Amino acid sequence: MPPSQAPPGPTPPGTALPVFQTTALTKVYPGPVTALDGLTVTVMPGVTGLVGANGAGKSTLIKILLGLVPPTKGQAKVLGRDCQLSGEAIRTLLGYMPEHDCLPPDVTATEFVTHLGRISGLPPTVAKERAAESLRHVGLHEERYRLIGTYSTGMKQRVKLAQALVGAPRLLLLDEPTNGLDPAGRTAMLELIGRIGAEFGISIVVASHLLGEIERICDHLVAIDGGRLLRADSMTSFTQASQVLAVEVEEGLDRLRAELAARGLTATTSARALLVPLGGDDTYDLVRDCVAALSLPLCRLEQRRHQVEELFRDEGEMLRD
Amino acid sequence: MTSQPTARATGVIHDLGYRGYDGPRLGRMQIVRALAWHSFRSAWGFGRGVKGKIVPALVFVAMFLPALVNAFAVARGNGRLFSYDGYLPTLRIAAITIFIAAQAPELVSRDLRSRVLPLYFCRPLRRIDYPLAKYLALTGALLILVELPLIGLYVGTIASVHGGSAVWDQTRALIPGLGVGVMWAGLMAAVGLVLASATGRRAYSTGIVAISCVLTFFLALLLIQAEGGSTATATGARVAGLFSPFTILDGVRVWLGGSTQDGLVADPGRYGPLYGLLAVILLAACLGGLAARYRKVSQS
Repeated sequence: MPPSQAPPGPTPPGTALPVFQTTALTKVYPGPVTALDGLTVTVMPGVTGLVGANGAGKSTLIKILLGLVPPTKGQAKVLGRDCQLSGEAIRTLLGYMPEHDCLPPDVTATEFVTHLGRISGLPPTVAKERAAESLRHVGLHEERYRLIGTYSTGMKQRVKLAQALVGAPRLLLLDEPTNGLDPAGRTAMLELIGRIGAEFGISIVVASHLLGEIERICDHLVAIDGGRLLRADSMTSFTQASQVLAVEVEEGLDRLRAELAARGLTATTSARALLVPLGGDDTYDLVRDCVAALSLPLCRLEQRRHQVEELFRDEGEMLRD
Repeated sequence: MTSQPTARATGVIHDLGYRGYDGPRLGRMQIVRALAWHSFRSAWGFGRGVKGKIVPALVFVAMFLPALVNAFAVARGNGRLFSYDGYLPTLRIAAITIFIAAQAPELVSRDLRSRVLPLYFCRPLRRIDYPLAKYLALTGALLILVELPLIGLYVGTIASVHGGSAVWDQTRALIPGLGVGVMWAGLMAAVGLVLASATGRRAYSTGIVAISCVLTFFLALLLIQAEGGSTATATGARVAGLFSPFTILDGVRVWLGGSTQDGLVADPGRYGPLYGLLAVILLAACLGGLAARYRKVSQS
């Protein structure tokens, strides 16, 4: 198959354009509290995880992208347009799901999403159709005629996602979409977001403080800490960088490490295993040869992946030092 | 390789799923109109449950009933019972107070309470558009409340009068009455909204609106009475009406040529322009306050 046919689902128009781009973006709230500190990052189409601890600046970044909060310094562009100059035009292209509760209890989901579709600029009949479709896509069928006040937290999160989808956005900004959900609800929400990203041809930025959770659905990761960029890269490069080989022997761990070091492999000790950076197939051969040369009782040899979270933690510490 | 086209073909058939939208979109002003229309409907309880319709419906009936009574009276040969510009001022004050106390929170406090505002402001609206739409909606709703009874009064009267000149007289009397109605609706909508938007707790904002309207009105009424009533000509009586929005509106009406007989306030005399100025200042202050309220509203 030619590579051009490879991506499943429709490709968003203007694929080459970054979905958003910030240059030395700084936001200082009165206080003064520095929420963003010279953030420069470019995010390409796809599903991007925006990770950082609470207070790292994720929500501030999203509000600047929406054109709701002016930056103190620097520039932000969404889909090629400047956030401050063309906020309204940008907001036509965006769907936003806030972190907190934002639904009135005394209307039905259909009415509410239809109304917000109108506010997104859709003509009346289109708003009605798209509201019904959005609610169906997020998995609300007959329930959509019930008052929102009677919904479970999971259903409310789905309504929040549906209202973000109703305006036919090119980019979705989701702020902590799994907030308040139980583990099953989290998984379902993440699958839904993954499907929207893969099948609907909409780029997504998911802000979360739970990296382990969103790494499942992301193509790219942007990690911020204290308003500064920690790292931005594709998910695959994170995973490649984090491949290690865990070697467990019943005795002689130190001798094995010395032997590996002599052959040019720096291993680190983790509990009862040695972690060897995995270069390729010859790493396996090398480890096997070392173990055989020392005639050690080998009981485990497995490929492992660093939790991406650990990598960030290390880098975050380095940055702070 | 042969399997690929099949996979793609089924992919297309299966793709009942998501559809984008590339059709026309409404401009900003059309969105404001849509929001205003939606709010106007909810001010009258449409799109709400039965409970939401009770108060507006009762208030409307109370306001319209005198017009019906007038139609019967005129049909039996009496003259018109009420004037157009001074249509039952006390009833109108009660009706408007109840209406804005109940429905202004419906328009603004609900959204504050359930924190829906970020969902509006993340759409192609400007900050000012939301209070603008709400103001247009409540003004429109109040216009229905104050003008329809006047139209009812007019229709009921001309149904029984004879001759073109009699109809023309009625029409000429109606027009300033409608003008007074526009003033009342425009000012009281602004007052109601700015007071109601002070808090997201609906019971409180209803209380704030009701108490502010009733207290200031009774204060003004008390002062007018203390200075000798609506027929007095002392300076004290002339300015006593400046203490409540309702009496300010009535003062403006008298200043512009209305009769003190159907009214609440004494003839403002040379203080008339003061009433006019105060009405304009009050309107500007309320609208400015409303705009400021939504410029600062929390985004989180």
